[in-house]
Amino acid sequence: DLWGPLVLCVSLALMLQGGSADSKDDGGPQFAEVFVIIWFGAVVITLNSKLLGGTISFFQSLCVLGYCVMPLTMAMLVCRLVLLAGAGTVSFIIRLIVVGAMFAWSTLASTAFLADSQPPNRKALVVYPIFLFYFVISWMILTFTPQ
Amino acid sequence: RHPLATFFHLFFRVSAIVTYLFCDWFSNSFVACFVTILLLLSFDFWSVKNVTGRLLVGLRWWNQIDEDGKSHWVFEAKRVPTIAASTEAEARIFWLGLIICPVIWTMFFFSTLFSLKLKWLALVIAGISLQTANLYGYIHCKLGGPKTISRVTSRLFGTTDVPKRQSRRIAEDGTEDHGKTGTR
Repeated sequence: DLWGPLVLCVSLALMLQGGSADSKDDGGPQFAEVFVIIWFGAVVITLNSKLLGGTISFFQSLCVLGYCVMPLTMAMLVCRLVLLAGAGTVSFIIRLIVVGAMFAWSTLASTAFLADSQPPNRKALVVYPIFLFYFVISWMILTFTPQ
Repeated sequence: RHPLATFFHLFFRVSAIVTYLFCDWFSNSFVACFVTILLLLSFDFWSVKNVTGRLLVGLRWWNQIDEDGKSHWVFEAKRVPTIAASTEAEARIFWLGLIICPVIWTMFFFSTLFSLKLKWLALVIAGISLQTANLYGYIHCKLGGPKTISRVTSRLFGTTDVPKRQSRRIAEDGTEDHGKTGTR
């Protein structure tokens, strides 16, 4: 099932576009960028976990990683709403807390699936790319400033 | 015999290609075009894989995962006793649509690459992957060969659960232990 991840990815990319870059660009390249980061990142994590001897299937792993983007998509929604109210320090702190919590949720949820399919001495090797993946997405969300 | 299936088999693929070619006429927004084409490609993939292949040429393929996490790719073909003229026409439309569109998307790939409009590259690659996946799956079904011959009852096509009954199937084991992916 890759429909869910597709919808989440498209929503996240839509909300992330038109950020602090050129406004005459209509955020086009950024949209494609977010897309590529999410899908290519998920593929690389899956390949990494399979090369380390994981027992989860390729598309299952993509599905899990895609669905675990959901907390971050919700965080993006909240951030956009908070930014409508203002862009000061208070708003930043709120956004930081929300994004941080959702990032932790995403990482823990996907780790629960993907690390278990690994032999015990390899778990950290699998968890680190997942951590990095969601960290990058969270970073994009947190540093988003509307035009 | 299946006019709706035939229509939709071609509709999504052709719409995706047409939208890609003429997106500048429809809308100024890159994002709108990107999302539209992506959705059309996804609908096309789903409908060709799950519906039109089954109805138009009696082939189907899927991936199933055992309890112990091993994934198998299964390719099945329906054994038809007679070929009616309408079925032949439908089959021809099916295969033409299936083969020509990935070729067109590959041409788009090269044209995008050489004209350096790289922001479209992700979309073109997605298009090629989705269409080629269906092409590969169905060719595999078709060329499975008359190795195991059994009858497939029409009731089987009502469900995509694991069929315990006989059917002509070419099961592929994509076991994970040699580090390769379960896909082919």
